[in-house]
Amino acid sequence: MSSRLDRTLAALADPHRRRVVELLRERPRRAGELARALRLNPPALSRHLRTLKAGGLIEEVHPAFDARVRIFSLRPKPMADLKAWLAETERMWSEQLAAFKAHLERRA
Amino acid sequence: MTSRVLISLRVAATPERAFDVFTSEIGAWWRPNDLFRFTPRPPGRLAFERGIGGRFIETLANGKVFEIGRITAWEPGRRLAFTWRQASFAPDQVTTVEVRFEPVGAETRVTVEHRGWDSVPQEHVARHGFPNAVFLQRHGEWWQQLLRGYSDRLS
Repeated sequence: MSSRLDRTLAALADPHRRRVVELLRERPRRAGELARALRLNPPALSRHLRTLKAGGLIEEVHPAFDARVRIFSLRPKPMADLKAWLAETERMWSEQLAAFKAHLERRA
Repeated sequence: MTSRVLISLRVAATPERAFDVFTSEIGAWWRPNDLFRFTPRPPGRLAFERGIGGRFIETLANGKVFEIGRITAWEPGRRLAFTWRQASFAPDQVTTVEVRFEPVGAETRVTVEHRGWDSVPQEHVARHGFPNAVFLQRHGEWWQQLLRGYSDRLS
């Protein structure tokens, strides 16, 4: 069950792939554009894009006018779930520590 | 590679007293939280069994005891660490909590570090029905923070 998040995190454990995510954060981009920006040859870039896709981080679309053109964009969901957990955990502990402090200082 | 939450706050007490109240009176100060309920039943009372290897337990209204985790560090006045599992986690999923007590003048800084949320199933989130807004907020920032966190951890 955790494998999807594991894959998501593993996909980010590489500087080229993080750079792809950074570039896609600005806007969707074509494969060629990404290859130039990262100075990678197309097969090397394809491997990274496959890993990011398997991690559920990015998705690929083809414009209606040309099915050969590959455009990549970020998928918000997987990171959103992890992030939401972390945000909720943080909120939970803030509340717990505030309750702890109130309890401790009330009895001081 | 692990995701973590870090929270700290200052309390007006010595580290020894803060540690003591944190551990021996958790049943009194803990506020049950719907999203982080340990079992599907109504929340019970929490307790630590003192010392390394001691259990962190919730005693339910029907008298049943749920083991949330085990104490892995017990250093009175300094540090406490324990494991944390909710009944809804899969068997191999566990998170860990470390609580540090550091003197700051006459007070104590209490820091909680909760790690391992990346091992928790994504389905868990859906089951608990996070409001959509939580997901839709600030997509760009999510990415940015996450990447920053990653580069910090990896550097």
